[in-house]
Amino acid sequence: MSQMNNVTGKYCDGLTRRNCLQLGLGALSTAGFSGLLQQRAEAADDNARKRSCILVWLDGGPTHYETFDPKPNAPKEIRGEFQPISTAIAGVQFSEHLKRLSAAAGELAVVRSIRHSQGNHGAGNHYMMTGAPPRIPVGCGAFVSFHPSLGSVTAHDRGESRGLPLYFSIPRMSRSGGPNFLGAKYAPFIVPDNPNSESFRVRDVALPKGLAELRFGNRRELRGLVDRMKRIKEEAAGDPVVGLDDYYRQGYNLVTSPKAQKAFDIHSESPKVRNAYGRNSFGQRALLARRLVQAGVPFVTLYEGGWDNHGTIFPTLRKRLPAWDQTLATLLEDLKQRGMLDSTLVLVLGEFGRTPKVNSRGGRDHWSNAMSVMMAGARTPGGTIVGATDRAGYSAVERVLSPENFASTVYTKLGIDPATVLYTPTGRPAGLVSDPTPIRELLA
Amino acid sequence: MTRRYTRDLDSWWRRLMSEKLAIRRNSMMAIVLSAIGLGFTCPASFAADAPVDFERDILPIFTRFGCNAGPCHGKQAGQNGFKLSLLGFDPDFDYDALTKEGRGRRVFSLEPTRSLLLTKPTGENPHGGGKRILKEGPEYRMLLGWVVRGMPRRLPDAPRLARISVVPQRQILDPRGIQQMRVTAHYSDNSQRDVTRYTQFQSNESGIASVNEHGIVRGQGVCGEAAIMARYMGAIAVFRPTIPLPGKVSAATYKALPRKNFIDDLVWKKLQRLQITPSSGCSDEKYLRRVYVDIIGRVPTPQEARTFLEDTRADRRTLLVDALLAEPEYAEHWSNKWADLLRPNPYRVGIKAVLNYDAWVRRAFRQNMPYDQFVRELVAARGSTYRNGAVTLYRDRRSPAERTTIITQLFLGIRLECARCHHHPFEIWAQDDFYSFAAYFARVGRKGTGLSPPISGSEEIFFSVEGGSVTHPRTGKVMPPRPLFGQAPVIDAETDPREALSRWITSKSNPFFAKVMVNRVWADLMGRGLVEPVDDLRATNPASNPELLEALASDFQNSDFDIKALIRRVTASHVYALSSLPGPRNAQDTRNYSRHYRQRLRAEVMLDAISDITGVPESFAAMPPGSRAKELWTTRIGSLFLDAFGRPDPNQDPPCERTGDTTVVQSLHLMNSENLHRKVAADSGWAARLAGSKRGSAEIVEELYLAVYSRRPDSEERIIGQGVFNKKGTTRRQATEDLLWALINTPEFVFKD
Repeated sequence: MSQMNNVTGKYCDGLTRRNCLQLGLGALSTAGFSGLLQQRAEAADDNARKRSCILVWLDGGPTHYETFDPKPNAPKEIRGEFQPISTAIAGVQFSEHLKRLSAAAGELAVVRSIRHSQGNHGAGNHYMMTGAPPRIPVGCGAFVSFHPSLGSVTAHDRGESRGLPLYFSIPRMSRSGGPNFLGAKYAPFIVPDNPNSESFRVRDVALPKGLAELRFGNRRELRGLVDRMKRIKEEAAGDPVVGLDDYYRQGYNLVTSPKAQKAFDIHSESPKVRNAYGRNSFGQRALLARRLVQAGVPFVTLYEGGWDNHGTIFPTLRKRLPAWDQTLATLLEDLKQRGMLDSTLVLVLGEFGRTPKVNSRGGRDHWSNAMSVMMAGARTPGGTIVGATDRAGYSAVERVLSPENFASTVYTKLGIDPATVLYTPTGRPAGLVSDPTPIRELLA
Repeated sequence: MTRRYTRDLDSWWRRLMSEKLAIRRNSMMAIVLSAIGLGFTCPASFAADAPVDFERDILPIFTRFGCNAGPCHGKQAGQNGFKLSLLGFDPDFDYDALTKEGRGRRVFSLEPTRSLLLTKPTGENPHGGGKRILKEGPEYRMLLGWVVRGMPRRLPDAPRLARISVVPQRQILDPRGIQQMRVTAHYSDNSQRDVTRYTQFQSNESGIASVNEHGIVRGQGVCGEAAIMARYMGAIAVFRPTIPLPGKVSAATYKALPRKNFIDDLVWKKLQRLQITPSSGCSDEKYLRRVYVDIIGRVPTPQEARTFLEDTRADRRTLLVDALLAEPEYAEHWSNKWADLLRPNPYRVGIKAVLNYDAWVRRAFRQNMPYDQFVRELVAARGSTYRNGAVTLYRDRRSPAERTTIITQLFLGIRLECARCHHHPFEIWAQDDFYSFAAYFARVGRKGTGLSPPISGSEEIFFSVEGGSVTHPRTGKVMPPRPLFGQAPVIDAETDPREALSRWITSKSNPFFAKVMVNRVWADLMGRGLVEPVDDLRATNPASNPELLEALASDFQNSDFDIKALIRRVTASHVYALSSLPGPRNAQDTRNYSRHYRQRLRAEVMLDAISDITGVPESFAAMPPGSRAKELWTTRIGSLFLDAFGRPDPNQDPPCERTGDTTVVQSLHLMNSENLHRKVAADSGWAARLAGSKRGSAEIVEELYLAVYSRRPDSEERIIGQGVFNKKGTTRRQATEDLLWALINTPEFVFKD
């Protein structure tokens, strides 16, 4: 936290109660104010800073129609081929292939009314991953970063942690998932390999294949003998070698601690659990994410491509959604059973939603006027649906929210004040989120 | 202390009095005392006829109390609907914001005390920024007086602020010494005013000397120098306290220090001022590894190490440096450094443009192109992205404003970015300066296909056109091209204005040009820039040794900007060849080069070193087989190793700076990565070959030490090494691998020492 300088003070955000009254918005102000108080309570809660986050990133922009916001009454060319099904929440329907999530809807919340104006991948990714729109127009293929990502900010907030990388991104980094001015120290740690493979291991945190533990022990001992470089003891000298020693110690602890190693060893999960998550790469990555969180990693991004369904959306999703539904529902259930759900925030989102009218290739195109974001855990009130799109799903119309509101909610839940002002290395102040108002319905 | 401070305020008030502020002296003292927190209250007795000027009297209050600071009302979007210009750079805007917006509630002439201007900062009305001023304080009275007088914008004869000065400017302080700074504003009518109370202070080295909001400077118990910036209404002055190490060192000690060239002279001079004494000289082994890593970006082979260590000629170090500067690897290594600064993201500007750009930079370093020519060819680049790689700069930075930012920062060490939107908060640069400079790029024409990420593959051609202008975003005025200072060649209609600009930038009368480059090279070789960050040269961020920076810059100019000559000069100094281990009087020193500062090897250097030492080359995508990490043309070429060790990330804008930090991820990677393990254990690798050779184990141990540490093992280390081979159940191959692994995993490999 040392670099986080909370200069704006606690009350710079939002309207004051007096403002509301003066504007004749007395009725609104009560809810707004209590939301604000809730946010304060949660941000001040030290437990919130012990929470972790699993961000399931659906790269390409998942359709809201075929997932959390079906529109059965819209014309055929809009409602698509799938039927809605009822959920555990009275009067709320999800799309038919989300069977397990529908049944588990009492544990999760969906925001149906996030809207923004960045309808291409590069920009949409940036907006949702960082809570800040890109500073300059960027193209669809762009990989850009103008602002630190949710994961990097969380890593920065948590600081050092027992040798474990603080921010994992599996199996790759999302376009704007980097640290920007926070520095490479807060870049995600990538685990590219497929945990569904027999030979999978988390890279670098376990001994390399083919190296026996005994031999590693010998090497470690030998290293201790040959390491004779003089350290400069005076603290004022700032000897970087002393810092490296600390990292080596942390690294050794990680490699030699059976507990830590077990956390990474997905093979030690029972076949039952592994099957429940689904024996596919996404399922096993979700299981790995759970294990990492269990071991104390504060932020894990699960990157899952293939949601840019410009063509043949229905056959593709018909095949894909059931397994995906199974994995997510299992993740929530598993977290709950282990008593981890209250301390783990699960997010499911992509860049934007998809166009109402099915196009000539049987797909849907980019659409940032409406999107659905799922959130669960970290005391998110289950069975909550926030906002709504219009009858045909064209646009968020009720309780219209922004990516800033989304990011502020995530930060608040993780115990990070979204009104924090960070400073770039050149001394320029950069507000963590420009509008630090969280979505009050999602706060406990 | 309190008494002195009271006197300051006293004199300040006296001046206010002399400007016809009708305040009785007794109440004046009450105000003074309350202002310094002694709890007196004062009767409000502001006379209605005292003149108040918005710019001179009101704006400084906003700046002093942070109202118009970046995180509050000064930010682009304002705060809660109330926006002020950042740090008061635009008085007209601020005046309108106060008097014309906010539905007349900000200033309320009918009942002045109910103006939000007064009720907000005093906390009478809820205020996000909290209570900022006291109702009993002088600021309240000044603001109230201004409203009472009907918010005068400008007095007819109001003088302009010309400059500020600080007392003292230089001072020797005890390690825990205290010094009050006093700031005087000088106006266009030659009047003066003590503005200490309204000045903002900032120390560039608060670990050495800190400063509080009253301008009281305190030594922090550590020796060194600091620059304390005083900022008042856009004017800046600096106080430089020096805190010598307690205890006396005789002048003879400094006189007796070795002097190889002017660098030694100037460093010793500075050390003498601080009463620091340097470390002893380093061994040949350390010098050998330093110059290999610094000049050609790799570690010496065992054979190269032996050759040098057996060389008994007196000038063997100079000869080695000359030989290294002649190596082709020199160009690859230094191009790789420049690539960090120049190379854009190929997903944005296209593969071919980036590849050509990279090739252009490498060609320049292979030819040892004089640095001024290098910069002229870049700044005035024209032609096709398919033929002249240098124009990629213009393909990447498409607007005059973007070009201004990168070119001033890279080649002048001037960070103008701030002045794009507002007056630079720590500097003299205003928006006028920014857009006048940007006007040099107004006539850059282009045709062909622009950016179309992620491929952006098409050709684009840059040339000079006749029309085109840059306007000031606030005033809408067309800005004629004007350099930041000094004179630039006159531009006629036929020639590209960038020609004139590039001549101005690279002129020997432009001190910034040579300084920022020598500072960069110095930082690379010495572990720390004379100015840090290396490309942020300004009065308020002075060099730790300004005389040395000057001397290096003029030496560089005299060599006609020969980068190799600069490297030769630095590496020939005794200062470069000091040990990193502190002596009795310099452990605290991290700024003055009294010892060598350890640096972690660059990502590319380390990866190439590991490939060399293990005898297993790395294979890179999009590169011919056998390519070295320092030869990569883009950081998009995947490498977990290079990512872990902090190469820049081209996805970031601006590109994420390379970091020299150590992290746990790096330790884990060296310890456990499959790739390193594979290299150490490869059948075709060097460990296997050594083990399979006829050499005795003692020879193998020596060979490994030479390869990894560039030195022979000492007797104790020979015993340790032998021990590995003699261990029961360990094969020769295993012993070789284990020792190799262990050595690579120690800091003596990871750091340049």
